[in-house]
Amino acid sequence: MTGPTNSINSIIIVGGGASGVVLAAHLLKSPNPDLRVTLIEKRPHFGQGIAYSTLLSAHVLNVGAAGMSAYADDPGNFWRWLLERGLATPEQAPVYAPRSLYARYLKELLDDLETRERETGRLRLIREESLSISPTASGVEVALANGTSVVAHLAVLATGHDEQPAQGHAIRMGSEADTALDPDSRIVVLGTGLSMVDAFLSLEQRGHRGDIIAVSRRGLLPSPHRKGNPIKLDVADIPLGTQLSYFVGWFRDLIRENQKAGVDWRDVVDGLRPFNQKIWQNWPASAKRRFVEHTKAWWDIHRHRMAPEVYARVTEAVQSGRIRPIAGRVVGVTPGDGFAVEVQSRHTQRLETFDAARIYDCSGIVRDISTSSNSVVRSLVDRGLARPDPLRIGLDVSADCEIIAVDGTVSRKILAVGPLTRGTFFEIDAIPDIRVQCARLSKRLLG
Amino acid sequence: MLTKKGKYGLKALVHLAEMPAGQLAFVNDIAVANNIPKKFLDAILGELRNAGFVQSRKGKDGGYRLARPADEIKVGHVVRVLDGPLAPIPCASRTQYQRCEDCNEATCQVRHLMLEVRQAIAEVLDQRSLAEMRDIADDLPVARDDLPVKVQA
Repeated sequence: MTGPTNSINSIIIVGGGASGVVLAAHLLKSPNPDLRVTLIEKRPHFGQGIAYSTLLSAHVLNVGAAGMSAYADDPGNFWRWLLERGLATPEQAPVYAPRSLYARYLKELLDDLETRERETGRLRLIREESLSISPTASGVEVALANGTSVVAHLAVLATGHDEQPAQGHAIRMGSEADTALDPDSRIVVLGTGLSMVDAFLSLEQRGHRGDIIAVSRRGLLPSPHRKGNPIKLDVADIPLGTQLSYFVGWFRDLIRENQKAGVDWRDVVDGLRPFNQKIWQNWPASAKRRFVEHTKAWWDIHRHRMAPEVYARVTEAVQSGRIRPIAGRVVGVTPGDGFAVEVQSRHTQRLETFDAARIYDCSGIVRDISTSSNSVVRSLVDRGLARPDPLRIGLDVSADCEIIAVDGTVSRKILAVGPLTRGTFFEIDAIPDIRVQCARLSKRLLG
Repeated sequence: MLTKKGKYGLKALVHLAEMPAGQLAFVNDIAVANNIPKKFLDAILGELRNAGFVQSRKGKDGGYRLARPADEIKVGHVVRVLDGPLAPIPCASRTQYQRCEDCNEATCQVRHLMLEVRQAIAEVLDQRSLAEMRDIADDLPVARDDLPVKVQA
């Protein structure tokens, strides 16, 4: 850990989605009058990355409102925001608010910051696409798509989830190719996780009635949330640095013992949460690889759960046959009048062909960060200024969020937060984790 | 509490950390050099293998070696595997909690302090690697004149 660097006054945040806004909010807590924060976003609105740009009210947050504050030191901030506006009542808790409402919360938060900093000039918002970041003698220069550039002492990448091109004939929901469909046509979805659930809710909203074949390697659907009380653990209780099988054995035993005592498994999974990053960071490379390959699908359905009301709709759809989850893989797609999609079952190896009007890619996995659709990320990797982490699920960064070049040099000027850093921080997709990361980074940079 | 099992396990691992990279050590050699009962050592090494700290090879040329570089294996990782949750007394553990017969855990001041102590234990042991532990020996004076002198009767 390096101490606060007093010489740093100007910081560019590339990406004005949720993590960019959360970082700006934490940086601007500093009393330093010379601070300059520049937030750059290519979309017309700030605070809305992929996750929070949906307008559909059924697309709710997967974390209860009480856990969604933008501020690490004020966990009730979002919950109070909802209560003050009459958007929730105390007895409703836990509330899974629509994501569009969360986007509004972040927008208002940023508006407030803008108003407050108008006099000071400490915050500047730029609506433009960033093309590349280059280190200079005194700091960094960010080139913008309009031909101009911005300079600062350092830059932080907050580009969020990477949208990789859809696989094969599949398309992304909400993309330009996502045109109107015959409401009775059959759909194939690649993936059975939370993105598939989002797609199902969107299709319902559009009045779609045809069935949905959802294919993933294991065909597992996410579990529902339930009101609970996470168990209390200390780091001294948790085996660190072991082989994956040993850790999984320990965790299964812990769940079994707690269940015997009448504790819900969710409370055990959630009790581990404060230590997830530490567990990940202490694992040998082989355990990380094995986890991503074999265990992550199981972990995800227990750890990243659905709001109970969403779960009820999905369960009903599965029971009525509207959604058919299949454990297997797509082995062939023949385009014609729609697509003939050949699926091979994981367990029986049996082949089955489905005539579908469309294939949606909801697999949501970063296959390789070096093929990122984000020009800033790609140009850093192409020039060797950044490198993929060993699993290629994000950029290789230090424990202090500094990006690491191809030759192993740790950058003092280019940093990253949020999902881009998952190779180092593992669970860094959700606000409760991102806000802690942003608070720590702000403290380190500005004191 | 560090048991004999934990202590022996750490000594055996430091022994392996002293070997040239990749070379195997015989169980017997480890046992003799560190004064550990062989049967006990067999059991300990088995557990360390299950947890992924050592690898073994069977047969005449068989033996044990570290599964990872010595600077990647932290002392705290090993102790948890051999002795369970780090805890100075049995009641100061959340997963392996054992109630004391003679006191009330909610109000026991000793337990409260010991819960704090276990965090400190974890902090120290999770920072130190086998490599650092091995290298402590190099800093010790060669002559064992820091040991208490036995007075001849």
